[in-house]
Amino acid sequence: MSTTMKLQETQTGTWNRVKNAVARRTEGRAVILLILVVGVIAVQQPIVFNAYGVSLARVALVGLVALGLTLVVLQGELDLSVGSTLALTGVVVASIPDLGLGIIAGLVTGVAIGALNAFLIVLIGVNSFIATLGTLFALRGLAFVMSDGRPVRITDIDSALVFGRELLGPITPRVLIFILLFVMLQFFISKMRAGREFYAVGGNRQAAIDAGIPVKLRLFTSFMLCGFVAALAGVINTLELTAADPTAGSTVLLASFAAVIIGGNLLNGGRGSLVGTLIGAFALGLMQVGLTFAGADREVQDVLIGIVLLVAITTDPNNLRALSRRLQGLIRGKANQQA
Amino acid sequence: MRNSRTVLVSVFAVAGLALSGCASGGTDDAGAASADGYNVYALLPQGNDQPYGTNYLKAMNAAAAEMGVNLTITNAEYDAAKQANECSVAIASKPDGIILWPAAVDTIRPCLEAAKAAGIPVNASNSDVLPEDKDLVGTYTGPSNEEVGRGAAKLIGDVLGDAGGSIIIIQGLSGNSTAIDREAGFRDELEASYPNVEVIGQQPGDWAKDVALTVTSELFTSLGEENIDAIYAVDDTMAAGAIEAMENRGIDPTTIPVVGTGNTELGQPNVLSGKQYATLFQSPVWDGENAVKYIVEAIEGNTLEANYFMPIPEVTKENAADYPAEW
Amino acid sequence: MTESGTQLKAAPVNGTPVEGIVKRQASVITWVASRGIFIFTGVLLVFSVIFVNGFASSVNIIDVFHRASAIGIVAIGMTFVVISANYIDLSVVAQVATAGVILLALSPTYGVLGAMAIALFFALLYGVVNGVSVGFLKANAVVVTLGTTGIGAGILSLLTTGTIYYGPENGPIDAFGDARVGPFPLSAFVLILVAVIASIVLSRTKFGFMIRSYGSNKQATRLAGVNSGGVVVGAFVLTSIAAMIAGFVLAAYSNTAVATMSEGFDFRALAAVIIGGNSLFGGRGSILRTFLGVIFISVLSNILVLSGFSFAWQQLVTGAVIVFAVALDALARKAEKR
Repeated sequence: MSTTMKLQETQTGTWNRVKNAVARRTEGRAVILLILVVGVIAVQQPIVFNAYGVSLARVALVGLVALGLTLVVLQGELDLSVGSTLALTGVVVASIPDLGLGIIAGLVTGVAIGALNAFLIVLIGVNSFIATLGTLFALRGLAFVMSDGRPVRITDIDSALVFGRELLGPITPRVLIFILLFVMLQFFISKMRAGREFYAVGGNRQAAIDAGIPVKLRLFTSFMLCGFVAALAGVINTLELTAADPTAGSTVLLASFAAVIIGGNLLNGGRGSLVGTLIGAFALGLMQVGLTFAGADREVQDVLIGIVLLVAITTDPNNLRALSRRLQGLIRGKANQQA
Repeated sequence: MRNSRTVLVSVFAVAGLALSGCASGGTDDAGAASADGYNVYALLPQGNDQPYGTNYLKAMNAAAAEMGVNLTITNAEYDAAKQANECSVAIASKPDGIILWPAAVDTIRPCLEAAKAAGIPVNASNSDVLPEDKDLVGTYTGPSNEEVGRGAAKLIGDVLGDAGGSIIIIQGLSGNSTAIDREAGFRDELEASYPNVEVIGQQPGDWAKDVALTVTSELFTSLGEENIDAIYAVDDTMAAGAIEAMENRGIDPTTIPVVGTGNTELGQPNVLSGKQYATLFQSPVWDGENAVKYIVEAIEGNTLEANYFMPIPEVTKENAADYPAEW
Repeated sequence: MTESGTQLKAAPVNGTPVEGIVKRQASVITWVASRGIFIFTGVLLVFSVIFVNGFASSVNIIDVFHRASAIGIVAIGMTFVVISANYIDLSVVAQVATAGVILLALSPTYGVLGAMAIALFFALLYGVVNGVSVGFLKANAVVVTLGTTGIGAGILSLLTTGTIYYGPENGPIDAFGDARVGPFPLSAFVLILVAVIASIVLSRTKFGFMIRSYGSNKQATRLAGVNSGGVVVGAFVLTSIAAMIAGFVLAAYSNTAVATMSEGFDFRALAAVIIGGNSLFGGRGSILRTFLGVIFISVLSNILVLSGFSFAWQQLVTGAVIVFAVALDALARKAEKR
């Protein structure tokens, strides 16, 4: 058996540089899924592309929440309360007769919830999974108490209806807000130091502390942003539906969580991107809309999303690499024994 | 490394294609009106996940097959935002007509307006729209959950007589519109016609027999067995739970009248044996059939009445055998 | 924060005094947190007996046990997953419903034991799929079980089309559900039996020891030569078996089964595990704690209903209790570190 080591020559040249850059990215699986979904839809249900406004609308709501969730996940934390935040914010908005005031109150509620989560997690030291689980229950209960268990209608329905109408072609305000927010958050996470430090906090928290990064502040920021974004989704949802449903948000939580995972964001933090989440949200949204156009049963949709999630999470390139190395080691070991 | 990933991706690709093929194979997609029948979208908040929905769908599909209608069915699981999205899908598919069973009546106006703008006739099924939105739908076919609640109130009020009494309500799933509407109709009718009947306690039974069993027993413990004169369970499954709770405590269910709803497979035997005082027969078959029948009328431009109400006969021991347990 | 410590001389070893061992005086928070669940459950029980009308009646005790049984069995199984530092098994929702539906739908054809055997097969299938994905493929447990529950619940719903299955009146399943031993329902004994067996497995067997050490320190356990993948599979399989038993118990209680019968079981069971004081970070905990957590939550729900609180308030209170319990645990761990 050869025991000499060969130095790997670093490849130069533009093509190789591109290859290396691509290999480092985490969005690979999301891109593959998107291509697959687009391909299948192009063949089976091309109407989805004609009516692209429908898909955009679906993606916008789930994607919005997913973007906020990504910020938290990048730092290695979780926020399960986004669905309840959406519902509670909606109830707040609908309960206030003045629509403008109601919207502001709703957004403030979201930020406050984010601060509450951060307080529990950062200052008291509760595990983020369980802390946001608790707030999930408590906030939903609060939404029920405030709404008496039934949908709350907006007083100024006509203004609300305007919000749902199309602006440019089939683009509604919802989609515009989503695009705007993506651009702003992407700028924050990639160009501003505070945003870039999110990756450091998630990658190795102790090292980040030692490097002088204000970790607590960064954590607070991410949770408050996540709460704000979830509240924004709640405001949009309530305006478009002209009423606030206290039971809203549970499906959005699952879908946005799935988008974050499929987008290649590591739950331990430190790796991932908003772009990945965006692609993941698109892939999932298109898949759901395509299945709806095809008249597929809701159960079939659930099963498919479950499969996608399972495949996505078990095929993390790092894990597969480790697994294959172990298998190779095993085989090589057996070969040695026989030699 | 790249090899195993490629293999995995190809496996997934094949699986995905196969599954999508299966999913869309069974139904026709609602494109332009084809020569062999109308294309209709049914926007529903439940389906094969509930016994009522299962039978509603069966009747609906049978009627559609008979009339040559191509149905595309959705199930929003009582999520208003999901139904709004499905409504957009429906309108984009340009069907000849839409049957809408609202997940939450307060939220469907945008959908109705969009359909009107697209020139697609919409009928409401099972749960009627709000009065201010009535002009946006062609007609309403169904039981009116509020009527059902009122019917139950009449049954309770009549059996308790002029003396009245104290009752408890085993509610449906919290936040569910059927549950909300039935209870609202029930309470309104009590207030209007039976002032001597007082509701002294209520807890959600979540449409489940085991939950209803537990909370009924706890209500009895908390309020005192002697203080409860009658029970209104918002569906027959929960009524069965309430009855079993009483039996477990050694109370003869015929001494405390229980009124349910539905005349279901679980409820009918209880009514026949007298354990359950009465129920209201709500037929998912009537519901599904007439939804299709009247959307065809709407598509063909015939004049429609504002409402086509499902008859909701009261069912007691005497006449229970006349009504089939449909769900 | 300096701890109020006192320097004590440790007991002499072989006659030579050992110096310099500082014994930390436990702060109040640490003490309360570690014994918290025992205290809180005790206080709650006493409070309920005195102040809540009708709580102590035999009928109500039975209702409390009915509330506790199915969820309790699931929670006890889930404890293994939590202690192995894998957070939660979300697929218990689908598993409980699958077992219950299989029992009631298939026992007319295959008999009760035959149906149970089929249910066991599916329970093992869930456990192995979950365990292999998390243990060998190193995937995150929350996402894996989210996937398996979506797939499992979807398939179950497709196959049953919402039918409510019910067993024959006074059949063997119904009889089990109604049976009593003294004033206690039989399901309570199943709960206690499961708790005892689980406790023995966790604390007295080598496997239990491996789960606890894996949860405490994954690296060290693996380096010590333990097949960590196998340990995780074992934890998930135990959870699945517990979920299956819970499904049987729940189905027997009302003699009905439907695909949606176990909604919310995942988080409610986890809440019981956490309120009991088991650490979500893994490694520490016991079945007894879970059991007390279950009792606490069941009594709490029971007295909220007895006192006339609406569903909304019940949710609010449950959430607040969870937050309070874990906040206390977190503060205590912080105090210990100093």
